[in-house]
Amino acid sequence: MPQVKIVAKNFMDMVASLPALKLDKLFQNAFICEAILRSLPPLAKKYVLHLLYIDVAVPGKSLDDWVLTDGLSKHKVAIDRLIQLRVFTETFDRKKEVSYRLNPTFQLNIQKHIKHGGILPRQPLSSSGSLRLPSLEELDAYAANQWECFLLHLISSSEAEKSTNFSSSMMKIFQRGLLSQRDEKEPPRLTEGGFQFLLMDTNAQLWYIIREYITNSEEHGLDSADLISFLLELSFHATGEAYSLNTLNDIQQTIIRDLADLGLVKLQKGMRESWFIPTKLATNLSISLSDTSSRKQGFVVIETNFRMYAYSTSKLHSEILRLFSRVEYQLPNLIVGAITRESLYKAFQNGITAEQIISFLQQNAHPRVAQRIPSVPENVTDQIRLWESDLNRVETTPAHFFDEFPSRDVFEAACDFARECGCLLWENSKKMWLVTKFESFPQMKEFLRRHKQ
Amino acid sequence: MSPPVPPELLTDDVSLLMVLIDTNPYFWSSIKQSFPFSKFLSDVLAFLNATLLLNQLNQVVVIATGYNSCGYVFDSAGLVNARAESCLPELEKFLKNDASMSTEDTVNGVGHSLLSGSLSMALCYIQRIFRSGAGHPQPRILCLHGSPDGPGQYVAVMNAIFSAQRSMVPIDSCVIGAQHSAFLQQASHITGGVYLKPQLLEGLLQNLLTVYATDMHSRNFIQLPKPLGVDFRAS
Repeated sequence: MPQVKIVAKNFMDMVASLPALKLDKLFQNAFICEAILRSLPPLAKKYVLHLLYIDVAVPGKSLDDWVLTDGLSKHKVAIDRLIQLRVFTETFDRKKEVSYRLNPTFQLNIQKHIKHGGILPRQPLSSSGSLRLPSLEELDAYAANQWECFLLHLISSSEAEKSTNFSSSMMKIFQRGLLSQRDEKEPPRLTEGGFQFLLMDTNAQLWYIIREYITNSEEHGLDSADLISFLLELSFHATGEAYSLNTLNDIQQTIIRDLADLGLVKLQKGMRESWFIPTKLATNLSISLSDTSSRKQGFVVIETNFRMYAYSTSKLHSEILRLFSRVEYQLPNLIVGAITRESLYKAFQNGITAEQIISFLQQNAHPRVAQRIPSVPENVTDQIRLWESDLNRVETTPAHFFDEFPSRDVFEAACDFARECGCLLWENSKKMWLVTKFESFPQMKEFLRRHKQ
Repeated sequence: MSPPVPPELLTDDVSLLMVLIDTNPYFWSSIKQSFPFSKFLSDVLAFLNATLLLNQLNQVVVIATGYNSCGYVFDSAGLVNARAESCLPELEKFLKNDASMSTEDTVNGVGHSLLSGSLSMALCYIQRIFRSGAGHPQPRILCLHGSPDGPGQYVAVMNAIFSAQRSMVPIDSCVIGAQHSAFLQQASHITGGVYLKPQLLEGLLQNLLTVYATDMHSRNFIQLPKPLGVDFRAS
């Protein structure tokens, strides 16, 4: 059995956690085989190629012989991954020796691909008079804009100008874990997880949303295997080419509307038919299958006097900055603000930590200051940490308060008893007051009852 | 040239594979019976497709090593869903052109192909990639060679080898001809590449897939064939 526990960390983990039957169905689609092969760790890819033209099971021992001692751990990871994704099937012989062979459907599809070539899922429309395709720059801008609009909608629905196609129930699902609402009247607040989400790069954010979308797909009547296969198929389309919507089946047509909201595709309507144009977000889907930790270019400059200049036109950025700073004025491409104690206290109350704010500022430092070490002035980072520890000066512990002891003896005996069991928090012998920890109340009660007798 | 790839997308195993194909017509006609050029080509194309399949950022460049000339016949950079088959028209044009350059009617034996020329072209291409920006795929050169070594090219080939060594580009070689090639033995030995002369040419594709598809990252972890001996003679 594979030793790696399945954590739905990236897309392929989700594929791996599908039931075997669905997974085998996915393999019938050549694109999925291709995407799965690409998502594998380098060594695993090698093993697939090794076994591509071998039709019998290969003993595990001879696989082990391929590896140098340095690569043993990687070898193990690779094999486990292959088994998890059911690309390798294991068989045990009488002596409990394991042998592997490729999943026949998978093998055939890959063989076909390298010998005869894949067929495109659908042909792009030829550009004719009625078809005016956006340039790649326009498309990128469209995708970025669409994505930002979605994010803004996600974190504060009131700020967004445009509503999305997503039903409010779907939005609620996305917001789960990112926002928390104490009661109905209060606007929802960003949780710690939500703040971390905003710090991630677009691809990672996209995956988070897509993942939620897939895991909850069954609720709105979509099969997760259909959804996964369509998403993978989409990543094999060419960016900026138009594809007719008529080539999609009904399920895919529903999906594509949702994807348009996320900026993965741009929908356009012509005289007679409609078409969709995949953006870079869509075609990068299968690239970003592996965990990449890239960063967007930074935009924030922090001065030693706690002034903050953020060169951004994005409304989303201004919303994020507003979470922990006081925004003073906003120019078309510049947000000017200050980090104050009040603004930080507000952030701390929302569960955002000082470290998160500092790492956000550091990761998004404007290129001009990013080369400087430290990129955020030390006195500012120190002060942010100090203000946070200010809040933590007082520690609260649930407790029980005892008074009106019948006699000083009883009081002192009670104090000794509390001290012995380590639950004494505070005593005042003059007034005969005693405070103990909340959880030791039954013991104290029992003790006092015995003393009364 | 393709637009530079954002460095964060370049994972460890992204490779740039420069494949030098021996197209010396005299050599191929000499082994026509046992291993025709068409069979060779179909194996190589399948191998190239497999390489492109492994990672969408993998890049494959094919250089034909002819009898009189050499030339780029395929570059997958900037192509979406690139297929190695698309090099065929270009290759055919190259072969015609190469044949038309021949002045003599008959050649003594099978002649030599211009290995030094195509090696230099591959290295030039790699240098251009190196200088294009911060992120670039890991380059390696694969020589699929059949013709015997040309003594006249000794100095030029050695220069190319040392230049590859300096820029840490391994030269893998797969010898298709009957004899071992001292040039390629040395090339692979000096640059840390793999030298192999397959026993059975029918299994060329399996050889290519198991040995030569190994990217630079995986080479740290995988056993690859070790040379039995290197012929260091000049020529």
